Amino acid sequence: MTAAATLAAQAPVVARRRRPGLAGWSYLLPLLLVVGVWIYLPVLATVVLSLLDWNLTSPTAEFVGLDNLRRLLSEPEFAQAAGQTLLYAVALLPFSTAVPLLLAVLLWARPGRASTIYRSLLFVPAMVAPVAVAVAWRFLLNPLNGLVNEVTGRVGLPAVNWLGDPAWALPVIVVVTAARVVAFNMLLFSAALSGLDRRAVEAARLEGATGFEVVWFVVLPQLRSTTVLLGLLSVVLAGQWSFTNVSVLTQGGPDGVTDNVYHRIHTLGFGYFETGMASTASVLVLVFFALAALAAEAVRRRRGRS
Amino acid sequence: MAGRELLPDGAGRARVGGLLWHLALCGAVVSLLFAVVWALLSSFRPTSRIYGLTPSWPTLEHYTRVLAEWPVATLVGNTFVMASAVAVGQVVIGCLAAFALVHLTPRARRPVLALLTVSLAIPPQALIIPQYLMATRLGWLNTEAGLIVPQLGSSALAVLVLVQHVRAMPVSAAQAARLEGALPREVLWYVVLPALRPAIAAVAVLVFITTWNEYLWPLLITPRTEDTTVQIGLSQFVTAEGTDYGGLLAASTLTSLPILLVYLVAARRITDAFMQAGAR
Amino acid sequence: MRSVSTRALVPLLAGALLLSAAACSASAPAADPGSVTITFSSYNYGTQGSAGTGTQALLDRFAELHPEITVEPQSVPVADVLTSARAATAAGEPPDVVQLGYSKLAEGLETLPVQPLDELAGDGWDAHVSGIVPGPVATGTRDGSTYALPYTISIPTVLYNADLFEQAGLDPDQPPATIEEVRTAATAIVGTGAEGVYFAMADPGKSDYLTQSVMNSAGGGVLDAGGTITLDSPASVEGIRQIQSLTTDGLQPAVAVDDAMAAFTTGDLGMLVISTAVLGTVQDAAEGNFELRTTAFPGFGSAPAAPTHSGAALVSLSEDEARQRAAWELISFLTSEEGYQLIATEIGYLPLRQSVVEGELAGWLEENPLLVPTIEQLDQMQAYQSFPGPRSNQATQLLQDEAVEPVVLRGADPQSSLTSTANRIRELVGAP
Repeated sequence: MTAAATLAAQAPVVARRRRPGLAGWSYLLPLLLVVGVWIYLPVLATVVLSLLDWNLTSPTAEFVGLDNLRRLLSEPEFAQAAGQTLLYAVALLPFSTAVPLLLAVLLWARPGRASTIYRSLLFVPAMVAPVAVAVAWRFLLNPLNGLVNEVTGRVGLPAVNWLGDPAWALPVIVVVTAARVVAFNMLLFSAALSGLDRRAVEAARLEGATGFEVVWFVVLPQLRSTTVLLGLLSVVLAGQWSFTNVSVLTQGGPDGVTDNVYHRIHTLGFGYFETGMASTASVLVLVFFALAALAAEAVRRRRGRS
Repeated sequence: MAGRELLPDGAGRARVGGLLWHLALCGAVVSLLFAVVWALLSSFRPTSRIYGLTPSWPTLEHYTRVLAEWPVATLVGNTFVMASAVAVGQVVIGCLAAFALVHLTPRARRPVLALLTVSLAIPPQALIIPQYLMATRLGWLNTEAGLIVPQLGSSALAVLVLVQHVRAMPVSAAQAARLEGALPREVLWYVVLPALRPAIAAVAVLVFITTWNEYLWPLLITPRTEDTTVQIGLSQFVTAEGTDYGGLLAASTLTSLPILLVYLVAARRITDAFMQAGAR
Repeated sequence: MRSVSTRALVPLLAGALLLSAAACSASAPAADPGSVTITFSSYNYGTQGSAGTGTQALLDRFAELHPEITVEPQSVPVADVLTSARAATAAGEPPDVVQLGYSKLAEGLETLPVQPLDELAGDGWDAHVSGIVPGPVATGTRDGSTYALPYTISIPTVLYNADLFEQAGLDPDQPPATIEEVRTAATAIVGTGAEGVYFAMADPGKSDYLTQSVMNSAGGGVLDAGGTITLDSPASVEGIRQIQSLTTDGLQPAVAVDDAMAAFTTGDLGMLVISTAVLGTVQDAAEGNFELRTTAFPGFGSAPAAPTHSGAALVSLSEDEARQRAAWELISFLTSEEGYQLIATEIGYLPLRQSVVEGELAGWLEENPLLVPTIEQLDQMQAYQSFPGPRSNQATQLLQDEAVEPVVLRGADPQSSLTSTANRIRELVGAP
C-alpha cells in the first residue's frame, strides 16, 4: 500500500465485484452470535424482569407491571444518581479526548527512545489493579495524616475531608478515575496516529509550515473521527469507568453525591436484591441512550441535507 | 532522536521546544503516576508505618508474605488464560466483523454499529443476572468456558475501534488485490490485517486489561477458590478483621507485572509501525 | 438486512436452550455411600492473616475428626457473601454451609433455603446449645426453630492509646467507663493536639452494630421487644445526639472509619470505639508506635453498657439428606467447645461458651489481655436486632446512609433525620 493510488475511492473494495452475500455475513456471524446471545438475549430477560417482583431466590416471580418503575422514580436516590452520571460524563470528557490527544500528539511529534519511555510510563496507571490505586488515594487523601492535607496545610489552606465532604467527593472521584482514562485513550490515539498519512505532514513541512500549523491543519483533521468516537464512548462509559473507584472509596456517599446509575443499579441488584428495580433502571438507561442516539442521528441527517 | 523530529524547527528553537516537550511530558507523568508511585512506595513500608508520613526503611516483608501465602501463580494463571482468551476472541471477532462491515456488507454497517453502541450503554450490572443464569444452566459454573465465552459479548468497543481503523485505511492495495481476483479472506489476511496491526495491538491491550480487572463476573461464575481470578484474590486482603494494606499493595504490584509484559509486547507493534512510517 | 439478522438469532436462541437442557439432564451426581463432600462458603477462609489460617486450622481439625466428610471451602469476599450465596442458590447449587454476617442474617433467613438446625441435630440439640451464650442464638431462631448458630462473634470495645493518655494527664489504668468520662478524656487528649475519640458508627460494611450499641446503651434501640421500630424514639435519638455532640464539639474527627483507624495506629487519635474483630489488624499496625490498651464499651448515664454484637453465624442450605447430616457435623464442631476455643485463640473472635472462658482459655487470656474487658462484658451483650422481612438489609443500609452518617459526621439534625428515615423504613419493611 505504499505507492500511487491513495486517491482511489474510499468505497468498499470487495462488495461491488460480486455480491458477497453469504460470505460477508459469515464474517459478521461470530459477532452477531456473541452479542445476540450474551448481550441482547439478557437484555430481553432484563426487560421481562423489570416487570416482575423477583429477588433472585424467591420461588415465584409476581407480575407487577410498572410498579418497579413507580418505586424507582419515587426514590430520591435514583434521580440523584442519574443526574450525577451526566456530571461524570461531562467532567471526564476532557480526560478522554483533549488530554490524551495532546499527549499522543506530543509523543508522536518526536519519535525516539524518550518518547517510548514516556509512552510506557503514561500507560502505567492502566496496568495497576484499580483497587491498589484507590487505596493509595485513600492514604494520600486521609484528612488526619495524609500527604495532600499535609501539603495544603503547609501553604496555609484549610484541611479538607476530600472523600467525606459532599462538595469535594465527586471531583475527587473524577480525578482518581482520570489517570486510567487518559492512559487508555492515549494508547488508542497513538494507534490512530501510527496509521496517519505522513506524506501530507512532510509536504506541509516542505512548504514551511510551523510545528503548530502542521499539527493543527494536517494531523488533527486526520484524528477527528477517532476523537469523535472516543468522546462518544466517554459519554456512554464515564459512569462505568468511575464504578470501581466509587465502590472502593465512597460506596456512593457521602449523602449519595458520588453515586451514578451503574453503581445504583449494582446496589439495587446485588446489595438489596431488588432485581425488578435494578432491571427497570437498566431499561431506563438503555431507553435514554437509544433516544439520544436517535436524536443525534436526526440532527446529522438534517445537517447532511442542508 | 536528533534528526527524527517530524515537526520543523530551527536548531535554536528545537532546543527550547525540546525542553518544553520534556517539561510537558514530565508534568503529565508526575501528575498521572503520583498515586501509582505512592501505592508502590507504600508496598515497601512495614505494617506499623503503612499509614501516615513518618519515613521508614523499605522492607520486603509484604512481598515475602504474599509470595509464601497467597496463591499468586494459580490466580495469575487463571486470570491470564481468561484475559488472553477474551482479548484474542474479541480481536478475532472484531477484525472479521470490521472487515465485513466496511468491505463486504457495508449496508449492514450503520444498523450493526448502532446495535453495538447501544450495547455499550446497557449497564452490565443488570445483564449479569440473566447472563449468570444462562451460563449456569449450561453447566459452566467453575469452568473456563464460563469465565470466557460470556465476556466475548462485550466486543462492541473492539469492533467500533477496528471499524474506524479499517475505514481510515487507504484502499489502493485492497483494490489492486480485488482487481487481481483475490478472495475476501485473502484481502483480509494479506492486505487489511497487516495494516491494522497497531490498532489490533491497542485493542488487544485494552481488552486484556479490562478483562483482567473484571470483578463481579468471576466472583459469581467461579465460586471455587482455585478457579478464581486476581481481582477476587485481592479482595482476600480486605477482610472483616480489617484490611491488610501492605499485602494488598504488594499483591497488586506483583500481579500487574504480567500486564506490563503484555503491554511491552503490544507497544512494540504500535511503535514499530510508527517508526517504519516515520522512516519512510 | 433486518430479516437476515433475525433469522440468525432464532436458531441461536434455540441452540442456547437446547444446550441448557442437555446440561441440566447431565448433572446428576453419583452418590458414593459412606463419604460425602460439602461446600463451606466462608469470608474468613483464604484471607490473609489470622482469620484465614485460623479457619484452616478449624477445617484441619474437623478433617481429623471426620475423615468421611470432605469439606470444600469457598473463599468469598466479605462484602459479597449474600450476593454469592443467593446467586448460587438461584443457579441451583447453594453452598452447604454459609458463614453469614448478622446484619445480613435476617434477609438470609427469609430468602435462602435455610435448614432448621435443631431438626438436623435431632436428640443432641439441647445438650449442644445449652452452653452457648444465648443472645445470638435467639437472633437465629424463627418460629421456634433455630436456623443459625453464632460462629465468629465480636462486640464493640474501646481501644485507647495509653501514651496519649499519659501526655494528656490522664491515668491509663483508669480508662473511661461512661460516655461522660469518654468526653472528659477526649477533651484532655484534644488539648495535646491529637484527635480525641472516634466511634466507628458509619461502618463501610454498612452494619449498624455500633448504632444499635449506642441506642441500646442510651435506653432505646432500633426495635423494641415487640418488633416495633423505635430508632426515632427519644432515648434512641438522645444516644445518637451524644455521639454527634462529640463531633460538633471538636472531640471526634468527622472522617471515614478507615481514616480514623489509620490515624489511631499512627498515634494521632486517642480512642477508637470499634468491633473487637479488627483488634489484630490494629495491633499489628500500631506495633511499636505506642502502647495499645482496651476497655469495655461505655455506659450512657447511670445505666450499664448494652453493646450489640456483630460478626457472623453459620447456616446450612443443603437439600440432600446426607449432605445435611454432614453440614450439621461441621456446624456442631465449629460451635463446640473445641471450635470456640480455636476461634478465640487462632482468630481472635469471642469464645461463646462460658466453659471455654473458665477452662482452657484462662491461661491464654492472661497473655492476651486485650480481649479481657470485652469477655467480662459478655453477659451484658445484646442480641443483634434485624428489621423484619426480606428487605431487612436494605433497611439497615438506609439507616446507616441516610441517618447515622449524616448526623454523626456532618451535623444533620438527629431528631428529624431519624424520624424521616424511620418512616421510610416502616414503609419499606411494612412494620409499625
